[in-house]
Amino acid sequence: MRRSLVLALAAAGLATTVAAQGPTPQSPKAQSPPRAQTQPEARDSLGAGADRQLARRKSWEPTPPPSDPRDFTGIWEVPNPKIDLKNDDGKDPPFTPDEAKSTQRMIDAEKAGAVITDASTQCYPHGVPRLTFAPYPIRFVHAPGKILMLHEVAHNVRIIYLDKTAPPKDTPMSFLGYSVGHWNGDTLVVETTHLNNETRLDMHTSHGPRLKVTESWTKQKTPQGFTDLVDVITVDDPDHFTKSFSVTRKFAYRGDLEAETGAAGVTEYSCEENNRNVPDAAGVVTTEVRAAR
Amino acid sequence: MKTVLIALAAATALAGVAAAASGPKAAESWAAVPAAERPAASVPNLSGVWVMPSPVRALKAADGKDPPLLPAARAEYLKRQAALKANPKSDPVSNCWMQGVPRIVYAPYPVLIAQEKDRVDLVYETNHTFRIVSLRQPLPQAGPDLDPLWLGYSAGHWDGKTLVIDSVGFNDKTWLDYSGLPHGEKLKVQERYTLDGPDRIKGVVSITDPDTFSRPWSTAFTLVRKPGYELKESVCVRDHRM
Repeated sequence: MRRSLVLALAAAGLATTVAAQGPTPQSPKAQSPPRAQTQPEARDSLGAGADRQLARRKSWEPTPPPSDPRDFTGIWEVPNPKIDLKNDDGKDPPFTPDEAKSTQRMIDAEKAGAVITDASTQCYPHGVPRLTFAPYPIRFVHAPGKILMLHEVAHNVRIIYLDKTAPPKDTPMSFLGYSVGHWNGDTLVVETTHLNNETRLDMHTSHGPRLKVTESWTKQKTPQGFTDLVDVITVDDPDHFTKSFSVTRKFAYRGDLEAETGAAGVTEYSCEENNRNVPDAAGVVTTEVRAAR
Repeated sequence: MKTVLIALAAATALAGVAAAASGPKAAESWAAVPAAERPAASVPNLSGVWVMPSPVRALKAADGKDPPLLPAARAEYLKRQAALKANPKSDPVSNCWMQGVPRIVYAPYPVLIAQEKDRVDLVYETNHTFRIVSLRQPLPQAGPDLDPLWLGYSAGHWDGKTLVIDSVGFNDKTWLDYSGLPHGEKLKVQERYTLDGPDRIKGVVSITDPDTFSRPWSTAFTLVRKPGYELKESVCVRDHRM
């Protein structure tokens, strides 16, 4: 439904702009200390870029996270976010021919100026792994029998059940699916299924109801001595890909946010307050989005 | 003597096992929670899913009387009630806006309470809304420099066996209850959660707002444990289109 709407938009040439991240959050103006830059930076191989990255990591991790490799408590954020299904080598995932066409049509539509909307731009939960790619902080919480991922972006909540090996019978399909997890050594392995097909995997690629996402989360020291939480995301969907494939994202520890008062470093993000990306009856997204950019 | 002691110890241990098996911890295993992150053993166990047994639509003060509204606030309250009667969607929650505090406490949906050493996390089923309450950081200074939020800014501490959460910095777009009870940006809320037996929380909410009420007032609430319940995905989107 949504995809056909967007494609119809593209076909009709009703171009406004790309609403990649949904409504912008109302950022508190008086939180202390002010946040470090969280937006993606252009990758450059020059020294200045590397220095900036290093300075940011230093400011993000004034104190190290817990030393226990199986303690993910704290706030983590991907420093170089990419909302796509590619690793650093830039290779496309193994699309089925239909999905390759569908993805390409979306990319072309976006290049032509069409509005690319998806669940997240309309304040629905982002889907998995779409949510994991979002350039916002995530607070990990260990609780009895479960791990919580409290996402700043649009107050998405994921609950990973450690006390189950499979979803209960009659588990409904949902935007974030049902996640069961277990420890494999010091790696938290999370399998998510029952993902409805209202979401995309990234901005352009669709999935079907047979989607299974397996995430392997491991704490790792960087060469500079900082701590990453590395997520190897394996996507398995025989209706959209010829074989399973994996993409890796590294999350940096945001110990600096622990000093923020009022919400323990996860700023309120009310997508609903500022939901301007909802298409009107004609399927057109308001141009306020363009005005705001 | 020694035998008696051992027997006593064994009896105590057995009693402990029995209590654990029938208590809330039976369904929960702290074993997989990193030791450094667990709340102190002396802290009451609020962890788990809770629900309000009888929904609250219109708040009453603890003495059963109406909240002490100032005249202008009373006029606003009556206006909202008339509007609600004419159109139930005049409730801001109908726009999927966050419910605010304390209203979200009364939402007729379960809440998952997660206890950490340094924080208490309240994850509400309704529209997947959460509050992260630090037990270490102070409350931000209330005032015009604090950007008003839907759920405000919170800080918690333990007062003996009672979890106390103080909140400030609210916008004035939320209602205090389903009947339209108003508040302004000077609202301060204190929530108190006290275990009453293993599976019941006796709660008190205290409300201070000099622009709305003639004096601070309090109201009581009850939460009961919902063992084994898993939060469902609840999604509220205005102009539902998908």
